[in-house]
Amino acid sequence: MSRYAMVIDTRTCIGCGDCVVACKTENNVPAGLNRDWIVEATNGRYPDLTTEFRSERCNHCSHATCVYSCPTGASHYWRGTNIVLVDPGKCTGCKACIAACPYDARLIMRPEGYIDKCTFCHHRVEVGKDPACVSTCPTNCMHFGRIDEPESLVSRLLRERRSKTLLPETGNQPNVYYLV
Amino acid sequence: MKKIDYREIQGNSLGYWVLFLLFGAIIAVAAGSAYYMEHNGHWVTGMDNQIVWGLPHVFAIFLIVAASGALNVASIGTVFRKEGYQALGRLSGLLAIALLIGGLLVLVLDLGRPDRLIVAMTVYNFKSIFAWNIFLYTGFMVITGVYLWFMMERKMNRFYKPAGFVAFVWRLMLTTGTGSIFGFIVAREAFDSAVMAPMFVVMSFSFGLAAFLLVLMATYTWSDRPLGNKVVFRLKNLLGVFCGAVLYFTLVFHITALYATEHHGFEHFLLVGGGIFTQLFWIGHVLLGNLLPIALLYWSKTGSSRFWIAVASTLVILGGFTQIYVILIGGQAYPLDIFPGKEVVSGGFFEGQINSYSPSPWEFLLGMGGVSVAMIMVMIAIKFLRFVPGSLADEGKAA
Repeated sequence: MSRYAMVIDTRTCIGCGDCVVACKTENNVPAGLNRDWIVEATNGRYPDLTTEFRSERCNHCSHATCVYSCPTGASHYWRGTNIVLVDPGKCTGCKACIAACPYDARLIMRPEGYIDKCTFCHHRVEVGKDPACVSTCPTNCMHFGRIDEPESLVSRLLRERRSKTLLPETGNQPNVYYLV
Repeated sequence: MKKIDYREIQGNSLGYWVLFLLFGAIIAVAAGSAYYMEHNGHWVTGMDNQIVWGLPHVFAIFLIVAASGALNVASIGTVFRKEGYQALGRLSGLLAIALLIGGLLVLVLDLGRPDRLIVAMTVYNFKSIFAWNIFLYTGFMVITGVYLWFMMERKMNRFYKPAGFVAFVWRLMLTTGTGSIFGFIVAREAFDSAVMAPMFVVMSFSFGLAAFLLVLMATYTWSDRPLGNKVVFRLKNLLGVFCGAVLYFTLVFHITALYATEHHGFEHFLLVGGGIFTQLFWIGHVLLGNLLPIALLYWSKTGSSRFWIAVASTLVILGGFTQIYVILIGGQAYPLDIFPGKEVVSGGFFEGQINSYSPSPWEFLLGMGGVSVAMIMVMIAIKFLRFVPGSLADEGKAA
């Protein structure tokens, strides 16, 4: 499996939301629905506080519980990669994948009723481009590439900087990393 | 074993037709509700991206779980060879199939895209517990249908015991599968427990038997047929045991969860500070749904009264419905803890917020439609086919 990863530097993310706008524009996501979003989280108590902005989306897990829970196989891995897609033609709207996702990263498309999510802009990846959110980021805090290639930018960043993933204890093996 | 004389009910009374029209009207309204939700999408319901399974799923799961439990009476007669239960086998099998069809109708009409049902029936991902359940449900219907046929067709009578054994094993698998849907969802603190599977098996025993008792007593009372105390008391005593077993598994489930720190947040939410869910759990599920029925069923004054046995059975059904509501909706209402140890100040999503859910009338009507389909199927079947013994009077009493 070719593993694609997104690496986001929480030290340079300013929570501007450009990634959210870029995603909605690129993928025609309807008003009121989002494939990605910004979280501002604090740790500690005043005055010893740290704050972190995070741009979040589907983690395109290597062991994706949404893919395994989907009864029809509508949720699937794209062409031998870890990029998780939904085939609207096979989706019955049973919402098993939403319940199975530990990241709350899926949404019900309305009024059609099929399940939608971040695709890592696979249509751009296919032609060698970065996902729209990565291309748009004004502080260049988002990076995208093959984590199974040791010399890729994302591999180097993860080697050189301290990083974390969200909820690694679920065993889903998420592929969105946050540099801390 | 004495010969049992099965007879169709007459079904000509005013009461029969009033009940028939009532269920028919509910089914018509439910069909309209399903069309409205399908046509406009799920946003017209109380469901959203956080509470994705709502009231119709509560009805559907209840009916499916009760269906497998309703077959218990037949299984006790066939598999465990208890003669006292054998006369009830046909009605038990019929009720099981009817409840399952009612539940499945609600389930498929509550899909985000019911028009894609054919996809769900023809394309499978065998790693998915949801796909396994499709086979378990359809298999149960076929096996129970064959079991009924073997019971009712004299030429095939010699095969009904093996068929009954297969049906018994399958019904255990079915409720194990339904419970495992929740047990396998590791992403949610409220689910993610192996205890879910046996708990659902025991819940099915209780809900199914309560439904069976009510249908049995109603059928015999309204068709003026003799129904002996022996039959009723045997079943009501068993129902009391099942209520105790449901409470036991509920206790084990929560003690197991309380032992693991990662589940403390949800347990506190449900048991203490969850508002309507806490009230439904303690008052609806524990007190009215199990403790009170146990008291009514075993206290000599109420336990010997048909009226109070019917009240206890109704309470078990309402309590079971509440239990599934708390498991399903309460489990989704509690937020995912995506950032352990951090407080989310702001976010584009719903981090840390208790998700709210107000069922719409359409959802309730669709659910009631499932119940009505099950009941109307039983009414039609016992009118035209020989499912019910002419008499279930105690031995030595006039039939």
